[in-house]
Amino acid sequence: MEIPFTVTARKDTGLFNAKVGIWLFLASEVMLFGGLFSGYVFLRIYADYPWPERTLPVLPGLINTFVLIGSSVTVVFAWASLKMRQWRRFQVFMSLTIACAGVFLILKGIEYKAKWEHQAVRMDDFAVIEGHTHKAELDEKGHMHVAHGHGEEEHGTRFWANRLIFKTEAASFSLVRAYEPWVDTMLEQAKERHAELVASEDVFLYGHPADYPAPEVERKAAEQKLIGEHKNSKPSQHRFGKNSLYVAKGTPLNYRLLEKARGVFVAGRAGNAKVRTRVLRSKWDVAHAEHPGKPNWEIADRVKIEPADLAGKVVGLTPALSFDLKPAIPLVLKRSWIRNRPLAAGAEKASLRDDTSLTGHLEDSPIALAVDAVDFRFMAMKAEEADKNPMTVIERSWIFSEKNAHAEDFKKVWELHKKRIKKVEEHLVDKYGYKDEAKKIPDRVPTETERYRIGWKDLVQYARAQKMGVEPGQKEFAKLRPTMTEGFAGPNHKNKEYTEELHPFLELEIPHQKVSLESKFTPKWNTYYAIYFTLTGLHGLHVVGGAIVLSYYLFFSKGLYRRNPEWLANRVEVGGLFWHFVDLVWIFLFPILYLM
Amino acid sequence: MADSPEAIQKARNKYLLVGLVLFVFTVVTYAVATQPWLDFGEHGFDAADATIGLGIATLKAGLVAAIFMHLSNEKRTVYVLIVIGISTAISLMGLTGWTFTDPIKYGDWKKGDKFYNPEKVVE
Repeated sequence: MEIPFTVTARKDTGLFNAKVGIWLFLASEVMLFGGLFSGYVFLRIYADYPWPERTLPVLPGLINTFVLIGSSVTVVFAWASLKMRQWRRFQVFMSLTIACAGVFLILKGIEYKAKWEHQAVRMDDFAVIEGHTHKAELDEKGHMHVAHGHGEEEHGTRFWANRLIFKTEAASFSLVRAYEPWVDTMLEQAKERHAELVASEDVFLYGHPADYPAPEVERKAAEQKLIGEHKNSKPSQHRFGKNSLYVAKGTPLNYRLLEKARGVFVAGRAGNAKVRTRVLRSKWDVAHAEHPGKPNWEIADRVKIEPADLAGKVVGLTPALSFDLKPAIPLVLKRSWIRNRPLAAGAEKASLRDDTSLTGHLEDSPIALAVDAVDFRFMAMKAEEADKNPMTVIERSWIFSEKNAHAEDFKKVWELHKKRIKKVEEHLVDKYGYKDEAKKIPDRVPTETERYRIGWKDLVQYARAQKMGVEPGQKEFAKLRPTMTEGFAGPNHKNKEYTEELHPFLELEIPHQKVSLESKFTPKWNTYYAIYFTLTGLHGLHVVGGAIVLSYYLFFSKGLYRRNPEWLANRVEVGGLFWHFVDLVWIFLFPILYLM
Repeated sequence: MADSPEAIQKARNKYLLVGLVLFVFTVVTYAVATQPWLDFGEHGFDAADATIGLGIATLKAGLVAAIFMHLSNEKRTVYVLIVIGISTAISLMGLTGWTFTDPIKYGDWKKGDKFYNPEKVVE
């Protein structure tokens, strides 16, 4: 069948059909990205924290802009070559375009990876610390030790030093909410440290009223009988009656056991609900018969379920199972698992978000990191809101206090930073003078970011200056700043030579109780990163899609070129239009995400 | 839109030139944002820098659309589709902008206002 208007234009639109199609699609794309851009605007306007302006390393974004513009030129040249019937040239330009797409995606990948590995901590006094989390190990006594080393995977007893260490004696798991991966993690850790989670007592779960003798004495006797029957076998779970379960004291935990117990619990609960409904219905029938014609609301207070009505018809329910950890060992938990963060120092109970409840003792579990940025903007903002002097609040904060073992290092850096900002202030006054000469109000002042944030390049510059005894204002000082190429997508923590010689970052251990939010630079950290990943992620998917379509033209269209070169040229034009649109979106993304 | 071989041959130079202009504009955007000697408005990022940054971006986008996407010389149908797309996007952004008219948060309080609050009256 001949497809109409693939080469020639339709009379009414003046276009070949695919072109109408692509423009319809691009119009809908404009609306899609328009919505996300307006999302960006509103998130920024209503942000209740200092927006991280100009926070991303610019170089990867800049290179990507050049790459996409270059690919826009090559794709239009590929189309022009087809129009001129130059197949070889078409191949060259199309290959260049696809190579550009590849370079773009690789750079994006490097950027994403850096963010996914970079740790951020917001403390309870609103100081924001950025850096690289260390690894930690537990010693024989179960205490955490920072293992200064890089690159090893989390395995065995080695873990990221942003975890909670809770020496656990007992754990109670909710039958309906216990989360399998968490339970499995705890079991794995127990196994590694030669400990076992075993049922702390004999438990009977009833799933059917027939298994549940009403008089307690009778029931207890039946339970004792069951216990006696299994006394000599290995502790385990046993089904009995119509749908009930006996979990013997000492039964080892596994998730299947919890699942089995959940089945019985849910059946018991459903049965009880049915019984209640039935009793309530019969009570309503009686009330209606006694008071014919009366509306429901007038007789409602007569319809009540008394405990006696349910006796012998419903079963007792056990919603959770308790286990002892023998011997008690420290469990390494993610902070995000804990419900009421932060736990008090030495807390004896920890409640997890899946309703698991741990009993034991919270060990010291600080977040240990190599700090590459200290950001007091949020703290300054909060201080100003409370009508306090930001500098006073900052200098009295935990990081400079005696409680911080590394306070001296931070003080030295802060002093250098203050000196540098003073120089910036002087420079601005020299250049722009005063707004109010009499009151000495300068026309231009350093930005909040300059004042309150020590970025990684500042930090490295200060560290080097300290080592060489150079002061801000001296000529050599400016030269000590890391260049763009020294940390392409941010600070480099991996290279040993870098961390020891060139990037001597500060060490810090933040007590668990001081942490109000810890995250990598992912959407969890703040709305800026949420919209950053949404916009660039969607754009990246467009790059992938476009590259696939353009590759199809390059690798699978020689036949069409021989049969009907104009048709192929039209296809490439349509694909090219999409590609230009992808470039066009990036033209806006680059300034709003990297430069503003 | 260039269709004949001669016209396309000519257009190639135009595409190259536009590519070059886009490169230059990118460098300018970068310099405005990062170089102190090209800092507009107040010291650091402010409305002036945002306006210039987005202005250049719009110019670049306009060039890509006009030359690479051939919009400088297209059929009516295409223009209609684009106008519908862009105007819908902008009006939807405008609709969300209505939150700014929330009288409880942003209004000047006058007697007779729908959410009149005597404590916040602007006389």
